[in-house]
Amino acid sequence: MNDQLQHIFQSVSLLIPEVIITISLLITILLGLTVKANKHVILKLLALITYGTSIFIIIQHLPGEPTVIFGGMMRIDAFSSYFKILFLVGGILGVWISGPQKDNSSPEYFLLFHAVILGGCLLASSMNFIMVVLSLELISLSSYLLAGFGFDKKSAEGSLKYFLFGTVATACMIYGLSLLYGFAGTLDFSSDLFVKNLIALSSPLLLIGGLLTLAGFLFKITAVPFHLWAPDVYESAPTPVVAFISVVPKLAGIAVLTRFTMAINLFGQSGYHWQVILAAIAMISILIGNLSAISQTNPKRMLAYSSVAQSGFLLIGIVTFSLDGIHFMLFYSAVFLVMNFLVFNALNQFEEARGQLDIPSFAGLGAGLLVPSLAMLVGFVSLTGLPPTAGFTAKLFIFGSLWGAWQQSGELILLSLFVIGLLNTVVSLFFYLKIPYYLFMKEKKEIDSIKIDAPGNLLSLILVIVLFYLFISPNGLMGWINKIIFVL
Amino acid sequence: MQHLLSYLIFTPLFAAVVALLIPARQKKTFRVLTLLVSLIQIVIMTVIAGQYEHHAGVQIAERLPWITMELGQWGALQAEYFVALDGLSFPMVALSVGIMTIAVVSSWTIEKSQKGYFILLLILNGAIIGSFCAFDFLLFYVFFEFMLLPMYFLIGIWGGPRREYASIKFFLYTLLGSILILIVIIGLYLSVQDPTNSEELVHTFNVLHMQNPENIIPGSIFSADSTDLLGPYSFRLWAFLLLFIGFAIKLPAVPVHTWLPDAHVEAPTPISVVLAALLLKFGGYGLLRFAYPIFPDGAIYFSWLVGFVGVVSIIYGALNALSSKDLKRLIAYSSVSHMGFVLLGIASATVEGIAGAMYQMFSHGIISAMLFLVAGVLYDRTYDRLIANYSGLASKMKVYTGFVLIAFFASLGLPGFAGFIGEVMIFFGAFLSQQTNGLIPIWMAITATFGLLLGAGYYLWTIQRMFYGPFSVKVPVAELNDLDSREYVMLLPLALATLFFGILPQPLLNYINPFAQEFVETLFRSASFINP
Repeated sequence: MNDQLQHIFQSVSLLIPEVIITISLLITILLGLTVKANKHVILKLLALITYGTSIFIIIQHLPGEPTVIFGGMMRIDAFSSYFKILFLVGGILGVWISGPQKDNSSPEYFLLFHAVILGGCLLASSMNFIMVVLSLELISLSSYLLAGFGFDKKSAEGSLKYFLFGTVATACMIYGLSLLYGFAGTLDFSSDLFVKNLIALSSPLLLIGGLLTLAGFLFKITAVPFHLWAPDVYESAPTPVVAFISVVPKLAGIAVLTRFTMAINLFGQSGYHWQVILAAIAMISILIGNLSAISQTNPKRMLAYSSVAQSGFLLIGIVTFSLDGIHFMLFYSAVFLVMNFLVFNALNQFEEARGQLDIPSFAGLGAGLLVPSLAMLVGFVSLTGLPPTAGFTAKLFIFGSLWGAWQQSGELILLSLFVIGLLNTVVSLFFYLKIPYYLFMKEKKEIDSIKIDAPGNLLSLILVIVLFYLFISPNGLMGWINKIIFVL
Repeated sequence: MQHLLSYLIFTPLFAAVVALLIPARQKKTFRVLTLLVSLIQIVIMTVIAGQYEHHAGVQIAERLPWITMELGQWGALQAEYFVALDGLSFPMVALSVGIMTIAVVSSWTIEKSQKGYFILLLILNGAIIGSFCAFDFLLFYVFFEFMLLPMYFLIGIWGGPRREYASIKFFLYTLLGSILILIVIIGLYLSVQDPTNSEELVHTFNVLHMQNPENIIPGSIFSADSTDLLGPYSFRLWAFLLLFIGFAIKLPAVPVHTWLPDAHVEAPTPISVVLAALLLKFGGYGLLRFAYPIFPDGAIYFSWLVGFVGVVSIIYGALNALSSKDLKRLIAYSSVSHMGFVLLGIASATVEGIAGAMYQMFSHGIISAMLFLVAGVLYDRTYDRLIANYSGLASKMKVYTGFVLIAFFASLGLPGFAGFIGEVMIFFGAFLSQQTNGLIPIWMAITATFGLLLGAGYYLWTIQRMFYGPFSVKVPVAELNDLDSREYVMLLPLALATLFFGILPQPLLNYINPFAQEFVETLFRSASFINP
């Protein structure tokens, strides 16, 4: 009894960041009820302080020994800490670009932000199927609600679509997990028992169980064929929310997907080619994402498809099934966070200045809104993967590891993924350049009233510098990432 | 003076940052600043020329570690900031500095958003020189890609009526080419180790290490003993093909040349000049620097293909030039034809052919710049480029006609002009090839001579149509003035240079020859090392 209490106390002490977020979440509710004036500013500050403190505490404990807490429910290690930092940075950026909410709904808005990040932090360290489902649902339910924060019909429609697709994906996942639980006899997918029992098994139901479980995760990361919700949700949700849910839930999905695929691959002894399956998913995500993005006229729909393609690139790191691949995927995740926020921040500034825009109505805005325009250009160049931005470095690394994986395994699908992935850069250039093309090359029809949004511009500047810095000197971040020893 | 090359590369990039901070109202500042940068570069280049010694090796080198990281199971990765000069890059860098100066003078009349224009021109300047100096494949690629975006905007914003189509076509074609190159770069760095580090396996992007087949890791995909095939060819041969296609797009060679006429016709005059005189050179430069020395076995195996594409480009480009109605389009196709000679010279893999190809690249840089400038002079006055709309210009614009004649005759390869030397050396190489190394058959060389004939045809015909006969201009034009002083400043140095390098080839050959000899020797030595 005493030992158990001791263990729980110890476990909680390793979860201080999560505890802080939970407390902040409760304070947000209380403040929302009591404070009358400046509610938005106070809550925004609270959120920023919360996330900042949490990042600080996580960094203080790095690189800690991997520790299993709550009796095998979670594992706190460098891998999960890295993702937690990314979620919190994503939270800071998302809060930063969020303006005051309609109908005095700021408390609910920030509450949901906290909940998504809390879910992400828990998910990144989950080792147990129950924990996975709980934290994944915490993220999902909160993001369904966030997607409806436009408070109009369209937004409600998007939110409902997100919810319906999401529940089906969750249902599939839970069914898959129940199959796996039945076969393995344990919910802890990192345990030896899980691996031992599944290696002994030769039932095709293992494949079905694994695929159904993957469906839930692939839904979160908007990989094909579970990407159908993305364009509608992205189009209808408020831009800061889109920026946030295109990064944090996705990276959370990537984190759990990495752990799960390493487990289901059974150290390469699985009877099924999970590498080939994931490579195929990555390949069609890149292809369908890029090809669908070409014909879009709404910037957010285009970014939704771009996000589908980016998921494909992130998946490549997992496809390699190597430590280096995972390291490079972590690097890509950080770069993806920065470049995605850069683009969405600029888009948000445009929308604040000019209302909802389709791509042709960006014509000639480049001169009037120079900073957001340049920020967008850098963001898109980085998303395409061209130097001198970190997007290039990230792509170079991840494709380098893919080449290495192909050299080792000789699977032709990896070579195809390599070639198709790189050639898609040319396709992606076509739509990524669309907005900069309208911004700078189309003539201006009227003189714009220029509204300068200083915090937004400051954020753009910081993010642009980060993208250039990570290009010129990736050694710092990569050196840090290389210390992460991925243990299942 | 250890960092001369870095000064040369980063002065324009630094100036671009400075220009970014100057308010856009001060319109004239930007062009003065850009010209100042070019003049500084000329000074730096003169100092470098003083330090340069005429031998085949790499000189004026600067090396700094750039990306270094442990890769666990595969050893470590190392990319360097490694810039240097040798007999191949020195003439190209010198050409770049000169042409960029002339491009700035030619940009003097740009009116539309000067700030953006000159910032992009400065970035382009740094990227071009950086690419020519880079001896690390990744560094080269970064500078190479870095050229695309400024070029895209320079054509797309300041270009002609169909600029949007032309700029995106340019960008997509070139990016496709660079992606093919990137595929090989990724494969190469995982296959090449740094021989100077014996403690652990260090994967390097260093081109000099890549060029030595002994540094290829045994068992890697690009190792000579690898028996894996993909379709009909080994991976080494595929890699050569990818590099060849990638650089052929840039060159451009038929059939991947179609972006060039559009880009040239729509680009503003100074940008056409930079495009033709410098950017096209990366095609030949890339083959000589990367594709041939790194994959000599592929180079020898596919020499017939390189030669054939060269001959097709020569003839097809010339025929298209013959049928062009637009003066700029004619010059653009003549570039395709002349770059075909470069391919033919490279394919012959003889000392004469390689040296000729390098000479041709240099002389085409000067001559094509002049051609686009004279086309620009006319366009500035009439806003029309259709050949059929002009007649008898010689009677009104005497000096202008003189410069046009120099440019045209130089371009068609008349002895006494720089173009002649390069072409004649290429023909020596191409005719010699069959008996010395047997790489390209003699009929290719014979067919290529028809290119010269066609070249004389389209230039002389154009002169006859536009400059002789009774004076008439079929477009409304107030006044047809002869050259002004700014145009003299641009054209006179180029005309003198064409004559100088046509009459006295030795100063340039002092740089080129040691490189070409070493190149051919190493090519065959490495090839026999790989396929004993």
